[in-house]
Amino acid sequence: MPETHQNYYLRNIIGEYMAELGMTNDKVVVVNADLMGTCRNRSFVEAFPERSFNVGIAEQNMVSFAAGLAHEGFIPYAFSMAPFISMRACEQCRTDVAYNNMNVRLISTYSGVSGGISGATHWALEDCAIMCAIPGMTVMEPCDPLQAKKMLECSAEHSGPIYIRSSVEPVINVYDSDYCFEIGKASLAKDGNDGAFICSGITVKYALSAAEIVKKNTGKEIRVIDMHTLKPLDRQAIIDAAKTGKIVTAHDHNVSGGLGQLVAEVIASEKLKTDFVNLGIEDKFVPMAHAPYLYHKFSLDDEGLARTMIELINKED
Amino acid sequence: MNKLTSVDELKHAALEIRKNLLNLCSKQTIHIGGDLSIADVMTVLWQYQMNYNPHDPLDEGRDRFILSKGHASAVMSFNQAAIGCFDSNDVIKEYASDEGRFSMHSCKLINPYVEFSTGSLGHGFPVACGIAAGLRLKDNLTSRVYVVMGDGEQSEGSVWEASMNAVHYKLGNLVAIVDNNGLEADGKIEDITGLGNLADKYRAFGFRVCELDGNDIAKIKNQFDNLPSPDSDIPTVLICHTVKGKGISFMENQARWHAGKITEEQLKLCIKELESGAK
Repeated sequence: MPETHQNYYLRNIIGEYMAELGMTNDKVVVVNADLMGTCRNRSFVEAFPERSFNVGIAEQNMVSFAAGLAHEGFIPYAFSMAPFISMRACEQCRTDVAYNNMNVRLISTYSGVSGGISGATHWALEDCAIMCAIPGMTVMEPCDPLQAKKMLECSAEHSGPIYIRSSVEPVINVYDSDYCFEIGKASLAKDGNDGAFICSGITVKYALSAAEIVKKNTGKEIRVIDMHTLKPLDRQAIIDAAKTGKIVTAHDHNVSGGLGQLVAEVIASEKLKTDFVNLGIEDKFVPMAHAPYLYHKFSLDDEGLARTMIELINKED
Repeated sequence: MNKLTSVDELKHAALEIRKNLLNLCSKQTIHIGGDLSIADVMTVLWQYQMNYNPHDPLDEGRDRFILSKGHASAVMSFNQAAIGCFDSNDVIKEYASDEGRFSMHSCKLINPYVEFSTGSLGHGFPVACGIAAGLRLKDNLTSRVYVVMGDGEQSEGSVWEASMNAVHYKLGNLVAIVDNNGLEADGKIEDITGLGNLADKYRAFGFRVCELDGNDIAKIKNQFDNLPSPDSDIPTVLICHTVKGKGISFMENQARWHAGKITEEQLKLCIKELESGAK
């Protein structure tokens, strides 16, 4: 892992990378619904005005319009906040994009409670559950700048619909320049055999820091699995993680329908013998607050993750 | 196949489509009311107007057709059969049957001549706008996109979102058709949530608006003959005043014939009425 803990913002990385993607692939087009600024893809719009569409504040229309462009062979990247893509335009994602098998890339920011003080209207506690339930939809969530770029690069070559969510909270560099990304293949953010955090997106950085806290307190080496693809899920990574005997999942999403339940399904159906804790946003609406406060409240920050893992370790002893 | 060219030929073709619809309706529940109201427009569109080769359904130069009122899939399938995509008897045999090619709402998973699967209302129009924009982006300046909507469907907000884009992006290659039969599933549109003056609404959005008798083959043909060039800048909407259940007296203007099935006895009467009306 690189030494620097410099902060990076995934929406900047993703939005700005679009211009590069547009340069290498002339089928790539961008569709906005008045959140070009929020989604940081202005450089694409300026470089390729003819391949850019802004439909106004009309997310349903944005997704259907993108499906129409994909029908003509283009690869549209439709940008908005996660709640608006996944819920306001849910049926368009499902019927126009997935049912019609269109190569639309639904790119969202403000995942989970990362919208913080904007409040629940601007949070997406449900988007992964919704998108994972749509047949044929690939669902991904980056945790690191390089990974986000590689994810986008792969998305341009992939066949079928894709949903990518990202946090507005800052992330850190997790991967080195030789990092290999593959859709559906979990990445090992940190190795260890005494327990495993399974995370995606913003929780990866907290899990890495939590693993250090656990090590300092107990001497145990905790694995950090970055489940960047929620669908199709890397079942083997979970089967391997279960061999440590302790799995803690952490997802900035409703505990219901999030990464934890995806992992639990594998544990149950594969009859894996392991302790298991599912951490996420509690299944209720809470008032606005800054995202780190909320992560702390729901034990998703490094302190909460470390405490949960240490409890599992102590239980064993 | 050779395209039909005369009004008489098209009238005869529309009669055949109606007979097929009624025949199917004696075997399956179909959306017969809305199939019959748009049957004349669909016949002129598929058997005269559209540039579409059933032997090459993905030809780049084709016109694109989106059935936004996806429940009228039977009238589309019979028109596709008429131009040689398949046999009309196949439609009757396979409609709404397990492993058949024709479903109640048009579905491209089973029918390769369906450009885009539809069924839920208010989707086809914005998709058609994306297709029209995509054609422009590819420098295809000769193909048109035809999209057929219901009038009840006009209550969907996404129709008006798409309308703003169609005008903003100068999609003169887009031809929206509204089957204005005045009825929706629950009754008269005027009694449910009235649409007001639909033509004025589209005009206010910036469309080229034409109102016509959508059950008059000559008038429909005339409108299609006079469409602006596909490389022009202003999208067209054809507001087709039609009669739900057109051609069958006991079905005409009856909301309860939005969907239904007829008996063998009724079928005989229907065919007789259609044939006597054609004389």
